[in-house]
Amino acid sequence: MKECKFCGHSNREGFFFCEDCGQPIAKDMPTSVLTTQHIDDSLEHYEWRTSYGTAEFKADSSILLRIVGISTPIVLKPADQVVLGRLDVDNRITPDIDLVPYGAVEKGVSRIHAVIVRAEDGLMLVDKGSANGTHLNGQRLVAQQPHILRDGDEIRLGRLVARIYFST
Amino acid sequence: MPVDFDPYALLGISTDASEEEVRDAYRRAARRLHPDTNRNNPGAAVQFTDITAAYNVLVNARERRAYDEEAQQRSPDTLTFSLRVTPSKRNLFPLSETQVVYMLVEITPDPRAETVQEQIRAQTHLNLTLVLDKSNSMNAGRIERVQIAAHKIIDQLDVHDILSVVAFNDHAELVIPATTVSDKPALKAKISMLKAFGGTEMYNGLALGIEQNKKFLAPRLTNNVILVTDGNTYGDQERCLELARAVEKEGISISTMGLGSEWNDQFLDELAALTGGASTYIKSPRTVVQFMNDHVRGLANGFAERLMLSIAPDMGVKLESAFKLMPNPQPLSVEEGYIPLGSLQIDRMTTVLLQFELPADMAEGYRSIARIVVVGDIMTNEQRKYQALSDISLGITRATSNEETPPAIMDALGRLTLYKMQERAQEAIDQGNVAEATNRLEKLATRLFQLGEGELAEEVRQNAIHVQKTKALSDEARKDIKYQTRTLVSGMKRNSELESNS
Repeated sequence: MKECKFCGHSNREGFFFCEDCGQPIAKDMPTSVLTTQHIDDSLEHYEWRTSYGTAEFKADSSILLRIVGISTPIVLKPADQVVLGRLDVDNRITPDIDLVPYGAVEKGVSRIHAVIVRAEDGLMLVDKGSANGTHLNGQRLVAQQPHILRDGDEIRLGRLVARIYFST
Repeated sequence: MPVDFDPYALLGISTDASEEEVRDAYRRAARRLHPDTNRNNPGAAVQFTDITAAYNVLVNARERRAYDEEAQQRSPDTLTFSLRVTPSKRNLFPLSETQVVYMLVEITPDPRAETVQEQIRAQTHLNLTLVLDKSNSMNAGRIERVQIAAHKIIDQLDVHDILSVVAFNDHAELVIPATTVSDKPALKAKISMLKAFGGTEMYNGLALGIEQNKKFLAPRLTNNVILVTDGNTYGDQERCLELARAVEKEGISISTMGLGSEWNDQFLDELAALTGGASTYIKSPRTVVQFMNDHVRGLANGFAERLMLSIAPDMGVKLESAFKLMPNPQPLSVEEGYIPLGSLQIDRMTTVLLQFELPADMAEGYRSIARIVVVGDIMTNEQRKYQALSDISLGITRATSNEETPPAIMDALGRLTLYKMQERAQEAIDQGNVAEATNRLEKLATRLFQLGEGELAEEVRQNAIHVQKTKALSDEARKDIKYQTRTLVSGMKRNSELESNS
């Protein structure tokens, strides 16, 4: 079943238009039956990198999230916290940044994967107990423990790799 | 046993296939189409008979040689039509619930047909019967319009065409017994004598019309009965439908035209759909002439007649609905497993959208969904019967694909959804659920506005308000919304536009 974003009507899988309100149904993956896929966690193909960017994040800055393989970056002005994950309409899980359009399902991103938290002068990245883990510059984060984010850092959610830039 | 069709094409093998390949191909097809695995599926039963006949020819060396020789002698300018089936998705994700997949069926006449168009037209002859309502209600300017329309139709016909005319109120009257169209003024005069009075009893009129049509019934003719009425017939609808089922098998199609708003749309739609005919709503009598003439012109443009779509879904797959998109959009009945589609015109495709339901928990890999076959009589061919078939399989895979749904399917579905929304609104009204009906009509209006159909959207919106106040929808509004959304499906001109033109 797929819930219509416009009117909430449950449509059968395979429908392209909501039978109740006629609006197009998003052509993304069926959400109701997808569990996070477990993937091989070996780092053998991973390019190891240390970052020395600034950790200072000014009040009026924004974050540029460049996902590898996607040309347009996601730009966000962080509020207190930004949840990264994948949308699940049926269970009403709506992350602030839905990564489904960037291949979140096959790359093993959890529905609530990680959070970027705004600290006093900077940003912290926290893994929220995701199935396939969050990596910061190649190091796997212990769940629920905040780590400082720096300009140019590489983060990896499951197998989805992105680079974070600060812009003013 | 002689076969009507190309046995190689039927089994999907090349003409130099070995005996072993013939047996293999037959076994594969038979496993899917065998009556034991396809109970209550006449479509599969007919297809099974055909492949068995094809197999029997090819497996017997002598018969196969005889067929091959005969095929070589066949004239190279034998025309064909082609069948193309496009699924809404080629790869599906295996789900723990059922899912829907759509197939767009396109039947296209031979491209060479255009070059011999004049020749085909000259060879296409009509066996046309008009069954005209002359009940009292036809008085309000309607009967005169129908008379003018009939006169114009007579002008279109020639000496090779057959015409019969029946008029009915409580009784059926034979106005013109089946005859070749030679003395046009005399025929027209008979039509001019018609006077409208009395009640409406359709069965007798329809039965007499069909009896006349059968007098010249022939495979080389386009046999069509046009029923024009403006009223409800009581108590004999079921008999009319039985009659329709019977004549469909003999190759006669019935087209229905409802005038004004009093007639039973569901009944006339069904009557037409059962025989592959078209059903039309004619809002204003002023447009009768144009509708009837366009219809007859369409008949004269036939490339193939008695087109029949038969669908044999595989185990676990269900054919849920079928809708003809072009020409003459209308819902089709899928109960029988085969669907009469009437005639295929020289210059336009016939397209049908099928909706299948696939079972839950499908195994990964390729899965065959259905075999789709179209049979029809190509009028200019020596051997008229022609068959095109397509076996549909889809991939079931967990891999994600960025597959785009074919725009033609998206486009058709978007517009078909409007028609279905209208149906759901009518259902709610019939069930007396006013709140639901109002809600559904408002959603339909919103969607129509978005799609730039402002005029119709406004009409639907007004009716939503009306339903809320009065708990009912007038007959006229009901038909108006139904047939206008239906015409939208093919992008054809609507009643209102035709009116402003005439």
